[in-house]
Amino acid sequence: MKKLVIATASFAAIAAMTLAGCSARTDTGTGTGDEAAAGFAADATIGVALPDKTSENWVLAGQLFTDDLTAAGFTPDVQYAPASNTVAEQQNQITSMVTNGAKVIIIGAKDGAQLSAQVEAAHDAGATVIAYDRLILNTEAVDYYLAFDNFKVGQLQGQALLDGLKAKFPDKTSYNIELFSGSPDDNNAGVFFNGAMDVLQPKIDDGTLVVVSGQTEVAQTATQGWLAANAQSRMDTLLAANYQGTDLDGVLSPNDTLARAIIESVRSAGKPIPVVTGQDSEVESVKSIVAGEQYMTIYKDTRSLVAAAVDMVKELQAGKEVSEINDTKSYDNGVKVVPSYLLAPVVVTKDNAKDAYANNPDLLAAAGGS
Amino acid sequence: MSDTTPTTGTESVEKAPFRFRDLGKMFGGSQSSGRQFGILGALVVIIVLFEILTKGKTLDPNNLINIVNGNAYVLILAVGMVMVIVAGHIDLSVGSVAAFVGIVVAQSMYVWHWPWPLAMVLGLVVGAIVGAWQGWWVAYVGVPAFIVTLAGMLFFRGANQFVGNSTSIPVPREFTFIGGGFLPDFGPDFGFSNPTLILGLLAAVAVIWQERRLRSNQRKMGAVSAPVWVSVVKVVVLLLVVIGATYLFASGRVGTSYPIAGIILAVLVLGYSFLTNNTTIGRHIYAVGGNWRAAELSGVNIRRVNFFVMANMSVIAAVAGMLWIARSVASGPGDGVGWELDAIAAVFIGGAAVSGGIGTIVGSIIGGLVIAVLNNGLQLLSVGADRVQMIKGLVLLVAVGIDVYSKRQGKPSIIGLLTRGRRTGVDETPVPAAPVGTQTPTPSQGGAQETARPQDLTPEG
Repeated sequence: MKKLVIATASFAAIAAMTLAGCSARTDTGTGTGDEAAAGFAADATIGVALPDKTSENWVLAGQLFTDDLTAAGFTPDVQYAPASNTVAEQQNQITSMVTNGAKVIIIGAKDGAQLSAQVEAAHDAGATVIAYDRLILNTEAVDYYLAFDNFKVGQLQGQALLDGLKAKFPDKTSYNIELFSGSPDDNNAGVFFNGAMDVLQPKIDDGTLVVVSGQTEVAQTATQGWLAANAQSRMDTLLAANYQGTDLDGVLSPNDTLARAIIESVRSAGKPIPVVTGQDSEVESVKSIVAGEQYMTIYKDTRSLVAAAVDMVKELQAGKEVSEINDTKSYDNGVKVVPSYLLAPVVVTKDNAKDAYANNPDLLAAAGGS
Repeated sequence: MSDTTPTTGTESVEKAPFRFRDLGKMFGGSQSSGRQFGILGALVVIIVLFEILTKGKTLDPNNLINIVNGNAYVLILAVGMVMVIVAGHIDLSVGSVAAFVGIVVAQSMYVWHWPWPLAMVLGLVVGAIVGAWQGWWVAYVGVPAFIVTLAGMLFFRGANQFVGNSTSIPVPREFTFIGGGFLPDFGPDFGFSNPTLILGLLAAVAVIWQERRLRSNQRKMGAVSAPVWVSVVKVVVLLLVVIGATYLFASGRVGTSYPIAGIILAVLVLGYSFLTNNTTIGRHIYAVGGNWRAAELSGVNIRRVNFFVMANMSVIAAVAGMLWIARSVASGPGDGVGWELDAIAAVFIGGAAVSGGIGTIVGSIIGGLVIAVLNNGLQLLSVGADRVQMIKGLVLLVAVGIDVYSKRQGKPSIIGLLTRGRRTGVDETPVPAAPVGTQTPTPSQGGAQETARPQDLTPEG
């Protein structure tokens, strides 16, 4: 008899599960339909999908999004992709946000070329898609793009490299440099590099700058995954192959993490530290700049970028047009030109570090201010 | 054979008392089947748990479609990986092979403007060549598969980046249906996806037909059948699952159906289940994995078996790679990183043995689904990727740990533990029908009987 009870109970449990599935659909069925474009609930879920935590910037951005969206009354759903199988997990995170009924999804893409299907599903479900820092390619479903002006970043890096070389070696007429670019699966990497080459190429052509290794193509200079280890080993190789008897005067590095790896490589090769550019204002690099090692970095205030994103969300919530759009022709994702809001980056060297970080206590402390 | 055996059929119908233990026969009756019953239970528990925690979002039709589309590639890899592991090998190269095939297929369509069917054929051919290469080293040169595929993992990762210049290459829209597409709707509008309803009907018919065939085969061969009520309960349960799944998949947002990626997966699961259970080469895989010396002495061409499983794995990896680029609408340099480990985890959670010889395709799919539902549920709950990975790691360890522990105890599973405890208490007289996992004096002896028995689960479950 007891056995019969157990058997019946287990059977009922499975049947109940199936029935639970049925009823669940009717509950959520009304919520998944397309809502009117004009505004949404003030406490709506806002999805924020960020890539793996490869730089301090992303870690800070996640915290700021959580804090600012909560402060604005929204329900933030901030998710980082894991370090392995990153693209697949980011796709899953975005689809989960759609299931969770997110009204706006802000995406810092791992690979902007591999999210179009998920972004379209989000758009179909009525969510507004904002590409944050990295453009999402080959889809109509990106509503806005929000970033620092990355071509400008590259130009500033290129110019700073020239300025730094002139300042450090006043009596030289030609300088030996090497070039590094970012990860080839990041759309920005090429933009940075092209921006820098916009300034550097004329100087390479007239002989002021000499790339001793001859590696000037994006593919040759790429740093897969923005990984410090890859930049360091490439620098090791370049030094061993090309700089046994000559001096290395300058290195174009696309960001701080790579800049520090490059400096580390030069140091372990027993060479004097060249003029190295950077970007992102990471704490370690700010210290390095103040100590006279890394030459410069770019300050892209993550706070202002996140604040701009949250302002956009607020406007969308109220059903208003997004007001802060300052570029409607530069960012073509292959299918459409995405309306963009670009913030201006700031060059930081040893000379202006304290001024530039005046509004950021952590960086100000790293720069030696109080 | 059949005319010499006593009348087991009628006996079990009339005399067998109602025993909970018979439920174990629902999915075969051997130890590994009992274990699968356990992992299936774990899947049900996880689904119910997340259904409650996410307030009904887990079994939302669109979420189910996401789960299928987002994990089909790993589940497909698990289908091939279980055969590799059963044969006593491992394949670490699947992620890189998938990425390499992906970039070649993407390149063929985007740069050379090949039509997509031709590109798919190219992908399968490339997979077959890669597989033949690796299979040759393993089977005929005798280099351990771990080494061959470790080399393959490095080589094909580099080959992916060499072909694609380390950039992402988009694929044309018409190709994306295999990874993210749906069956076109037709016929009158009932508020459901008609093709999905038809698929559900087919699955339901298959469930009933399969059980009838199983029983008639058992009768023909004079084998012991489970009591009739067990069969009835089993069919009813499976039908409920099929109906439930059909209802859910058919009621997704307009334009969706049971995903095409899921259909490809189902076809592969059915095809390879048949291959491993009902064909000579399939049974040889288990024989080689269980004891290759004995298999060789019995006349099994073990080189051919090893070549087959390794070559087959790469072809399956090619399918997974194409599915993935279709889902992502591009092939990128980071594709496939870590896939081999996801597939291997699915296979081991699904009850395969590290030493080879044990494991089933359906079990591996269930194992893969456990990870998939867990992953999805945690993401719906906005649990961070860091903690999700920690939880997945623990689940793998616990699942295999329970398996190892229960084998050392000579007990098949939690369910088996339960029924066994009851049996010793009651101290029944022996019945002619062989009870579940009869006293196994030494744990190691279990190997031979534990090899998979013909399975009769539908993949949609």
